[in-house]
Amino acid sequence: MERRGFLQDLTVGAVVLAAGAVPYGFLALLAPGGQRGGAAQARNYLRPPGALKEDTAFVAACIGCGLCGEVCPPRCIRFHARDGGTKVNTPYIDPEQKGCILCNKCMEVCPTEALIETPLPDIDMGIARIDRTACYPWVDRGICGACVSICPLSAKAIGFKMWNQYRPVIKNGCVGCGVCVEVCPHPSVPIWVAERTDETARKQKA
Amino acid sequence: MGVSVQKPFFLWRHLNKLRWVSLSIVFTMLVLLPFVHIYQTYVAAYAYDLLSPSERQLYDVMEALTGPFTDDPAQDLDAIKGNTWSGTFWGWKLSDPLAAAGQAAAGVKTRSALYWPFLITTAIPIALTVVFGRFFCGWICPATILYELNTNFAAWLRWAGLKPGNRHFDKRIKYAVLALGLVLSGVTGSMMVAAMYPPAIIGREIYYGVALGGFGAGTVFFLATLLFDLLVARRGFCRYLCPGGALYSLLGRYRVVRICRIVENCNDCAKCNAICEFDLDPMCDDFGQECNNCTACMAVCPTDALTFTLRPWDGPTRGPGHLGRQHRGKSEIDEKTKETA
Repeated sequence: MERRGFLQDLTVGAVVLAAGAVPYGFLALLAPGGQRGGAAQARNYLRPPGALKEDTAFVAACIGCGLCGEVCPPRCIRFHARDGGTKVNTPYIDPEQKGCILCNKCMEVCPTEALIETPLPDIDMGIARIDRTACYPWVDRGICGACVSICPLSAKAIGFKMWNQYRPVIKNGCVGCGVCVEVCPHPSVPIWVAERTDETARKQKA
Repeated sequence: MGVSVQKPFFLWRHLNKLRWVSLSIVFTMLVLLPFVHIYQTYVAAYAYDLLSPSERQLYDVMEALTGPFTDDPAQDLDAIKGNTWSGTFWGWKLSDPLAAAGQAAAGVKTRSALYWPFLITTAIPIALTVVFGRFFCGWICPATILYELNTNFAAWLRWAGLKPGNRHFDKRIKYAVLALGLVLSGVTGSMMVAAMYPPAIIGREIYYGVALGGFGAGTVFFLATLLFDLLVARRGFCRYLCPGGALYSLLGRYRVVRICRIVENCNDCAKCNAICEFDLDPMCDDFGQECNNCTACMAVCPTDALTFTLRPWDGPTRGPGHLGRQHRGKSEIDEKTKETA
């Protein structure tokens, strides 16, 4: 009987450990690891508008309720699943799939401080950047202007270079919503949303 | 001396049906809301003419369902959003207390300050839990409906001659799981406690499955808990492991509305003990902090011996029921009760 009780305790202990370790293990095991790491991830995935600047703070604040996705009219907000690691269930926007339309609904509905209501000019999901060695008008392979015509902030965020009607240039008013990335017709998508640093801002001005 | 035999209010034995209605509504809404959301996105994009036949079918069905309530689906249907983990009802935000606890724990790593607007969204659930105890588990939790159906399935298996597991563990294990979940949340700086909490898992997995085109790892975890309930312990996850149940039990320890036994009416048939999903002992007046006021015992009681009482603790154990075999012939008063009964 003594041994049986001990075995029972052992089973119980194992179950308790499993209850904690299994979900964590799932996430760790199922994360593809390295497939989309580092710079690639920073280039592709945005946090929804009004998100906390520090991503660790955002992950800690987000409770993973999915409300932001559930009110998003263009359904651009998706959620990290197996690829997320500890970021699992936190929202992201992949502008190559769908850009944000800056409708504010996600900020209004978020119960936590993860997304805070922010006036439009202060939203900072990043700043768009253009690869001038690939963009069609920049390499003189035709005229395009898709990104300029779709931009919801029009002249504040993106415009044409003065002496060539069709070469797009990002301006500092860009909030990084990513609809330009969504519409870019070039197969390699030479426009992307980068993290806004002083350096990016300066480079784009030039 | 004519013992005035107390009778419970006659509707209380029907509360269990109301509970099933409540559980069904919550679960139906969880399934419906992602479809509502997809419909809203179609409406907002004026996309009807561009939809594929199956999408158009969804549009038509949702239009028929919501048409009577709204002229402007894209805006008006935002009134009810979310799941039991956190939701919004006409601007009122309600969140699970475990979400607040987990977020506070996750904030330890990043040294985030507490965010009061979020904590306030948990005030109503907490207040209700303090009054009604662990009622969330019995009346609202979207996992409960699946777990209870799973229990019924186990009963069918038993009827078919198979033997589902019915082991018993220490109910305090779930407090350790709660602590473990909060510690994991604190260490990783992310809501790890939500990864082992079935209602949160179900809420978001249904949304992922319907609106985002694929279930996540949470579904695997939830299926594992169903198997655990079936093969190891009846309703085992809720009884022994659920971190949210642990938090609700702690909050509801001194709940005001609780079930108590009317010893004069009880005949010791033990149906209440058999039906109790949480392995409590209503027949011996032992409810404790685990009781979720699900009222299944009231519904099954053949002699109306269970009723509600308003006091923040269980009464003392009052011995065998006065209509039962053990008690028969013990005193004159009870003999009289028996005769009149």
